[in-house]
Amino acid sequence: MEEALLRIREVSKHFGGVYAVNGVSLDVKQGGIWGLVGPNGSGKTTLFNTVLGLYKPDHGDIYFNDNCINNLLPHQIYALGLVNSFQLPRLFLQMSVLDNMLVAARGHQGDKLFNSLFLRKGWQEQEKGLIEEALEILELVELDKWAFSLAGELSGGQRKLLEVARGLMAKPALLLLDEPAAGINPVLGKSIFQKLKDLSRNGTTFFIVEHRLEILFEFASWVYVMDKGKMVTAGQPQAIIDNPAFYQAYLGEE
Amino acid sequence: MSVNWAQVLFNSAITGSLYLIGAVGLTLTYGLSNFPNFAHAEFVTLGAFIGYFVAEQLGLGLPLALIVAFLVTGLVGFLCYRGIFQPLAKRGATIIHLMVASIALGFILRYSIGAAWTWKPLYFTATWSAFDIGPLRVTGLWLWLIFAAVALAVIMHLVLVKTKIGKAIRATSSNPELALASGINIDRVIWITWFVGAGLAAVAGIFRAADTQIWPMTGWDIILPIFAVAILGGIGNFYGAIAAAFIIGLAENIGVVGLIALGLSTTYRIGIAFVILIITLIVKPEGLAMLFRRA
Amino acid sequence: MLLYFLDFVVFVGIFAIVALSLNLEFGFAGLANFGKVAFVLIGAYTYALLSQIGVPFYGCLIAGALISAIFGLLISLPALRLRADYLAISVLAFGEILRLIVKSETWIAEGDWGITVSPAISLTGAPPRIDALVNIGLVYSCLFICFLVVQLLTNSPYGRVMRAIREDEVAAEALGKDRAKYKAQALMLGSAMAGVAGGLYAQYLQCVLPGMFMPMITFTVWIMVLLGGPANNWGALLGAALVELFDRGANMAKDYLALPIDPSNLQYILFGALIIFVLLYRPQGLLKESPIKTKALEAVKYGRGAVKNKGS
Repeated sequence: MEEALLRIREVSKHFGGVYAVNGVSLDVKQGGIWGLVGPNGSGKTTLFNTVLGLYKPDHGDIYFNDNCINNLLPHQIYALGLVNSFQLPRLFLQMSVLDNMLVAARGHQGDKLFNSLFLRKGWQEQEKGLIEEALEILELVELDKWAFSLAGELSGGQRKLLEVARGLMAKPALLLLDEPAAGINPVLGKSIFQKLKDLSRNGTTFFIVEHRLEILFEFASWVYVMDKGKMVTAGQPQAIIDNPAFYQAYLGEE
Repeated sequence: MSVNWAQVLFNSAITGSLYLIGAVGLTLTYGLSNFPNFAHAEFVTLGAFIGYFVAEQLGLGLPLALIVAFLVTGLVGFLCYRGIFQPLAKRGATIIHLMVASIALGFILRYSIGAAWTWKPLYFTATWSAFDIGPLRVTGLWLWLIFAAVALAVIMHLVLVKTKIGKAIRATSSNPELALASGINIDRVIWITWFVGAGLAAVAGIFRAADTQIWPMTGWDIILPIFAVAILGGIGNFYGAIAAAFIIGLAENIGVVGLIALGLSTTYRIGIAFVILIITLIVKPEGLAMLFRRA
Repeated sequence: MLLYFLDFVVFVGIFAIVALSLNLEFGFAGLANFGKVAFVLIGAYTYALLSQIGVPFYGCLIAGALISAIFGLLISLPALRLRADYLAISVLAFGEILRLIVKSETWIAEGDWGITVSPAISLTGAPPRIDALVNIGLVYSCLFICFLVVQLLTNSPYGRVMRAIREDEVAAEALGKDRAKYKAQALMLGSAMAGVAGGLYAQYLQCVLPGMFMPMITFTVWIMVLLGGPANNWGALLGAALVELFDRGANMAKDYLALPIDPSNLQYILFGALIIFVLLYRPQGLLKESPIKTKALEAVKYGRGAVKNKGS
């Protein structure tokens, strides 16, 4: 078995004494779609935010490709190949859809101050290529016709799609997606998951939080279940469905 | 050099009292409306000029001047909020936009005052002669100022703790959503705070002007130390402001002693508050808020 | 009369440079620099002191820019952690402290009495008109360079990242952009430009006095940027021209019109009212944010017929 791409070991994160994430451990191995489910407030988003570097874990360690990333800043974590897509889209609203995508691009030479003033020819070519890539991805999520509209003009569902598209643009080794199918019609949602599955065969791994269990379970190879900040159970989708602990987590409160 | 420390302490009380009266309005409105109101300086100035109008131009004396200035400036403060800041906030103005608006409002008020009266310094005719109480050199004005500050602290405390409106202010300060949910009319709380805040600024203006001069920059001359008090005390925190006012008063007056001892210019006196302001913002922006119960 | 006009043109040029710098910092990078005048002061005093010891004018200007940039870098450290309003107040206070220092420490530049600064290029015996024209040449050359720099920067991937950080710095950071670096660079560049403007200011007025660097200048530049339109470099130029025009116009009105209110008061009253009006009814300013234009983007936008701009 290869070493896990993402290793979370006993990670805890609390806010003012309340543990949002409490001693969670999990592995995400290379390839495929991995799922993370649980009722609202179970700590899934907090866990993602901790992994991506927005929060520092109060306890425990996180390893990506064997690098300990506890103390890294988000942009450094991105550089290692771990990219995040937010649950509530964090788009650059006053910029065009295409510009939003281009910001996500990895290794754009034009990002540097010196290059933007003096070595303009160099990155102009690169930019052309990146635009092509961006448009392809936008086509995937049916946003290509909106390429030059401002992100602020998109509807809620479209913004969600752009958020996902941006994550893909970043050419991650591991992409964390927080509810990518929320607010999107089921047909489109399923087709996106199908495309993610296809992409996952080409080297990108996806770790997805999703409430639309029927879609996730169709495509995920392994699912983790959280409740009240703790890891409750894990396994292949079929096994999860047969596991009473899973229902306990979701229905327990009611 | 021999220093009359009792005098330094007394002077600190004077400075602190002035800053406290001036800062209460600023810290409360900053906390409630979430932006630094630079026009607060002009509330101070307006108070001084209205005071001048009543006391000198109408010849009705200082006590009445204080009352009229409080009421009129309070009304102006309320109108400014209602007419400019509230609509702007409703349209989604950011903190910076509101701040710039307050600076623009300051222009309007300052130059209207300059137009209505004059840019030449004016003076209150009431003279306050200095006399000695033990080791202290005092004037009646200073004693009144300290008395006013103490009265303010006591009255505000009683209002905040014992009255319905006071409790509403505290509730809105600490948790606006919860306050709204409990049926408190937040708008009214904010309006009253702006009214009282501006009114108090006016009182500070009269005391300041009575001690120095009346001119359209009266407020601007002391606005940065007043900001320092608001921030050091914790934005929106009345009790913190009390402590901060006297800490800064002390810092300034002891600082003057230090400046003289070091052979530096005493023009730096005003800079002491600036330095405290910057350090607080960089090191601990919440100021002393943790030490004092909210509002 | 001509001289008055030439003087106006010089001032517009100098202010335009400062407006461009604030536009870069605030319009594009989202940094609320309320202490702009401090960096103009640094540039001006550096120029004054260096020119006194015989450094040629371009050396003084460059030095002014460099030293200002260093202070800009210093400011960027707290700028990262502070909320917009806290940063604004801090930098404002910082500017005032600097002014106090040059005012009180007379060994620097004679405090309130100031020191004289020789003009950058002086043609002995030339009439004032020619001197003014020379200054216009100098100032506008600098303005041209600054404008070119900010236009290139903001219409490039670098500018794209800067705007992204302004829109949502958390998202930008999560997409691999080191916001600390970009913010620091924005402030350094902006401060350098302000420093150049300061040097030009000093050599044009031929003196430096603390009274030349009041917070009012910072506020004036803010109004120029907000009026012209943040994140639009042409807007910054437009704002500078309009505000200076307004200022001069009001002063001239004093000589030609009999108004019930002294124009020097009325001018600021109207000014303040104008800004509030703009903030209420047209907060994006006269010229909207300029979209990023790179050759590649333009090619795609207008070349490939298949991809059209589709509005809602």
